[in-house]
Amino acid sequence: MSTKPRVSSAIAGQEPSFGTALAHQPGLAGAFGTLYGTFWSEGALDHRTKEVTRMRNARVTDCGY
Amino acid sequence: MTWLDADDSSTPFDAALGLRPELRDLYAAFYGKLWDEELLPADLLELCRLRVAQLHDCESELAVRHAEAGVSDERVAALADWPESGLFSESERAALALAEKMPWRHHDLTDEEYADLRGRFGEAGAVALTIGIALFDANCRLRLAFGAEPVPVEAAMPASGGGPIY
Repeated sequence: MSTKPRVSSAIAGQEPSFGTALAHQPGLAGAFGTLYGTFWSEGALDHRTKEVTRMRNARVTDCGY
Repeated sequence: MTWLDADDSSTPFDAALGLRPELRDLYAAFYGKLWDEELLPADLLELCRLRVAQLHDCESELAVRHAEAGVSDERVAALADWPESGLFSESERAALALAEKMPWRHHDLTDEEYADLRGRFGEAGAVALTIGIALFDANCRLRLAFGAEPVPVEAAMPASGGGPIY
């Protein structure tokens, strides 16, 4: 796993991160943000279930970020 | 058909997603933006989509073909053995290398491989490609989780403004 960002920050003054990498494609970033935000803010599942599955997915994929 | 009790009037995948219509529409808009904003060549995206589907052995995704993307049957047939084929350009090979690793071997991706992508597609292009392959991977995982049956279809190009998800 890389220990340094592979994509620069597309947002001036901000360190490279997942969000600033996506910002290189603002249309895609906006569509993703709307989908992901809606998933978290509404729906049939409670937040605890969503967070447990998010954390488990990160563990399975060994994603320390 | 899937194991979900969904509307059978659409494709199995679309019908399953349609059980959560707001998320389905937002997912379609996200997926469509990848294609209809011409961020990357359509044939490059189609090659990566099909290779990711092969790696997942996802018959439901493989049954969908976007003829407008312009990928010949000969190139599709060669895709499973693309490293040994002469039918793919250097840029396509760089993109397929990313598609090869993201689904199951994401930790094997090297800084050098990603730097090569940035050099060929630019930073914004590399980001678009990475998002695209993540979406192709997600499509397969969703289809396999839903148990979506394969339905051979010559699908219209995905569009952010609406339409079914094939």
